[in-house]
Amino acid sequence: MGDSNLNIAVIGGGPGGYAAAFLAADLGMKVTLIDREQNPGGVCLYRGCIPSKALLHVAALINESRHAKNWGIEFGEPKIDVARLRSFKEGVVNKLTGGLGQLSKQRNVTYIRGDASFESSNSVRVKKQAGGEDVLSFDRIIIATGSRPAVIPTLKLDTPRMLDSTSALDLADVPGTLLVVGGGYIGLELGTVYAALGSKVSVVEMTPGLLPGADRDLVAPLHKRLEKAFDAIMLNTTVTSVKDEGKGIRVSFDGKDVKEREKVFDKVLVSVGRKPNSEIAGLDRTQVKLGPRGFIQVNKQLQTDNPAIYAIGDVVGEPMLAHKASHEGRTAVEHIAGHKVAFEPNAIPAVVFTDPEIAWAGVTETQAEKEGREIKVAKFPWAASGRAITLDRTEGMTKLIIDPSSERILGVGMVGVGAGDMIAEGTLAIEMAATATDVELTIHPHPTLSETVMQAAEVFFGTSTDLYRPKR
Amino acid sequence: MTEFKLPELGENVHQGDLVRLMVAPGATVAEGQPVIELETDKAVVEVPSSISGTVKDVLVKQGEKVKVGQVVFTVENGAKSVGRVPSPAKADAPVATAPAAPKPSASTQAPAPKIPATPANEISVPSETSPAPEFKLPELGENIHQGDLVRLMVSAGSHISEGEPVMELETDKAVVEVPSSVTGTVKDVLVKQGEKIKVGQLIFTLQAGATTTTQPQQPSRTDVGHGEGARMAFQAAMQAEGKTEEQALPPEQPRPPAVATFSMPLNLGKSAGTEHRDPVPAAPHTRRLARELGVDIHSVQGSGPGGRISEDDVKVYAKSLIATAVSSAGVTATHLRQPKLPDFAKFGKVERVSMRGVRRKTAEHMWEAWTTIPHVTQQDKADITELEQLRARFGPKAAEAGGKLTVTAIALKVCASALKIFPQFNASIDMETEEIIYKQYINIGVAVDTDRGLLVPVIRDVDKKNIVELAAELTQLSKKAREKKLQPADMEGGTFTITNLGGIGGTGFSPIVNHPEVAILGLSRSSIEPIWVNDKFEPRQVLPVSLSYDHRLIDGADAARFLRWIAEAFEQPFLLSVQG
Repeated sequence: MGDSNLNIAVIGGGPGGYAAAFLAADLGMKVTLIDREQNPGGVCLYRGCIPSKALLHVAALINESRHAKNWGIEFGEPKIDVARLRSFKEGVVNKLTGGLGQLSKQRNVTYIRGDASFESSNSVRVKKQAGGEDVLSFDRIIIATGSRPAVIPTLKLDTPRMLDSTSALDLADVPGTLLVVGGGYIGLELGTVYAALGSKVSVVEMTPGLLPGADRDLVAPLHKRLEKAFDAIMLNTTVTSVKDEGKGIRVSFDGKDVKEREKVFDKVLVSVGRKPNSEIAGLDRTQVKLGPRGFIQVNKQLQTDNPAIYAIGDVVGEPMLAHKASHEGRTAVEHIAGHKVAFEPNAIPAVVFTDPEIAWAGVTETQAEKEGREIKVAKFPWAASGRAITLDRTEGMTKLIIDPSSERILGVGMVGVGAGDMIAEGTLAIEMAATATDVELTIHPHPTLSETVMQAAEVFFGTSTDLYRPKR
Repeated sequence: MTEFKLPELGENVHQGDLVRLMVAPGATVAEGQPVIELETDKAVVEVPSSISGTVKDVLVKQGEKVKVGQVVFTVENGAKSVGRVPSPAKADAPVATAPAAPKPSASTQAPAPKIPATPANEISVPSETSPAPEFKLPELGENIHQGDLVRLMVSAGSHISEGEPVMELETDKAVVEVPSSVTGTVKDVLVKQGEKIKVGQLIFTLQAGATTTTQPQQPSRTDVGHGEGARMAFQAAMQAEGKTEEQALPPEQPRPPAVATFSMPLNLGKSAGTEHRDPVPAAPHTRRLARELGVDIHSVQGSGPGGRISEDDVKVYAKSLIATAVSSAGVTATHLRQPKLPDFAKFGKVERVSMRGVRRKTAEHMWEAWTTIPHVTQQDKADITELEQLRARFGPKAAEAGGKLTVTAIALKVCASALKIFPQFNASIDMETEEIIYKQYINIGVAVDTDRGLLVPVIRDVDKKNIVELAAELTQLSKKAREKKLQPADMEGGTFTITNLGGIGGTGFSPIVNHPEVAILGLSRSSIEPIWVNDKFEPRQVLPVSLSYDHRLIDGADAARFLRWIAEAFEQPFLLSVQG
């Protein structure tokens, strides 16, 4: 039933949507891509991964220049031109999104800037930003509408002092004090940026630890460092109310570890997760069904309950990550083209771009414990890594989660400088079903941080060159 | 094949409860004959058939609700009547009986292009009893679904009458001549010699009516093309057993979301509905291959370190799936279970010829028998000097009856008597239920060597026939076998088998039991041997006899006694009349 001669629509131009649209065009389908922005890119490029990484790069530079004092180099306090920093960030965004616009033109993808709603299972009404409406019919429709920051009603105030991830990235100014509500990866990344730029940052987290869900041993070095970089880290604490007092926002806290019940902050960033954009007008005219938490229900081929409608990316579920969305987009298109495919990865890497970075892929220790799965963990502390010592960043750690009977690598976790780039090797090892021996016998370049992956495998066999473990 | 659908019953009556079903598969129905009693909202009505023929499948059950237009039963070689057919049946006339429809898509659109006023099913049917103007391969027998077309006896333009042979088809069991069930002038022949033909496949169409020669008929063609590449064949084979395919491939219809096989504790750490299956130890490329082949990668056993599944593991598993799928479909691909062959072409020129029909069936059957039955062969010798004298004397009598009084013919009678005395030799084993099935009838198969290979026609109720009758029947069956006239039914139902290689030579051999039978008697060439009789050697005619048996059911001592009994019966034909 597969056919490359189809007319397909992709609603939403994020990393999932444009990956799907471009592949469909490459396979010879007639493709229409509908999005509100001028170019494809979505949250990732306009309001997420990319602008935050541009700012985090700057934050890392500032932090490193301060760190240089330890090595006999002093730069003095940085002078920060927020307007130029903002335009650098915007330049990065425009360059990337403009490039995607070019790529869709080259592929003859019809790009419509506007809002889409469903007329029926195979037709879409597009309210064009240029004016006017079109009702277009398609053979297949891919929903890639993504997600948006979740809002807590009690924390809603109509003032520019209340930020979400989008407005925080706009970088209107550098507030003197900033409260980050939510100790997840978005809050910690943005908190890191503002702290480096000079804000006194406090984080409030409801659960007992930062980055809930991640392995504690990976979070510990970050926590330690953030304790210095941030003004306060309040765990087991909830925000009960926020009040605009004109000159600041008065925030009340509650929880067993609370020291100050109330405090005033210049700005408050709410980063308590994201919600799927599944409230699409006219969706009730199709057979598409929503599952728990408002995610669109799909099968492994990303097909909704209406076989002609697919959905991919944040709108179908966790993890809400760009690289997951683009893989799903390509899987959906391949299925439309008649291939027998399924979205069944063995590992999706997750990276927290804080300083140090935290990254993991596959089975985590926390997860194994919850499932009662028997695992062996091999850890290599970066204190024994030559490269980490040269960087003066020895707080890192690399660990392998290994199946004791097959000695297969089930999961990899890392914390340290550059962990986000190094996790790719771990993901490949998991996907290829590599054993600890495979990793141990693969020559890694010296002196690099990537050696720690091999060294962790050596630790598993108790024969690490750089780490002495007394015989048990 | 024609369908009978529930016709319109009256205004606003759309369905009814089936209170009485008056037809069953195999029954003959005539037009007008009541076939079901239906209780509608308004009344109980008797619904008469609008078609005639032999009922093939009944698709409704008593107590069910039946809707107007629903197929009630199908009729084989059915003649659809005209004139009094209720109108809905006309509109729903399947393409098969409406060849005048210009395109398959127009199946419900009755008018034919050149005779616009005439409904499709009336065009070529001059009288009510006219047969359907096409011929499909009818049912050939139990478990026969297809055959190789070895000889085609019709061509476009030739005239064919009902009962006239259309083609010769080589099935797993026999070569059968397929007679036509229709009369008329052949228009298009849709099969070719050498092709595989399936039951129900369209063989030829007739010109509509003797006088109408300008019919714009475009019969829907059945695609019988081969050679779509190994990959297609592979997938087709996978699909041969729908179940396997279904199990192997995750259904593509929407299902409750199988969110992911991992949990991603990035955000709030809650991933809904995670079904936990260990990550498969196979590279993404290998997993993709498995999906393409329709193999559930989770079922594949990995041969690599840590159970890693290689591309070869997937292919080997897929092949084994086909082997099971195909064998359970009745067409065992025996070679798939065999060890890998060397490359013979390295040593010289070779020719590969596909195993067809009888050879393939024999190969499968022998493999099955040999791997299922623990064989033992018991040898003995029978002094047939006296028997030979009798044979010479009574030969002419048998010849009068149209038979030849051969050793085999006599052996039939001898064995029938022996089987009565030793019933465990006339039995089968059911290992599943752990039962022995003793048969209360004696049907003996006789192996016949033909130019197409080994065939085993069965002579029924051997114990109830005399030697002259048996000789005549054996002669007739052997002739039929050699002339490819044996019907599948002629080779079914045997309880014991005799194979005689004496005509060729040899002093003994161990035959393979014809599973699910439990014993087989082999006869070799008789010769004159010196036998010690009354203090001196005498030249006697001695027949070597071999009995292979299933040791699961029969013990050596019983086999020795059974064979000895047979040898003695040959030696003293009188014993037969006393004990047999």
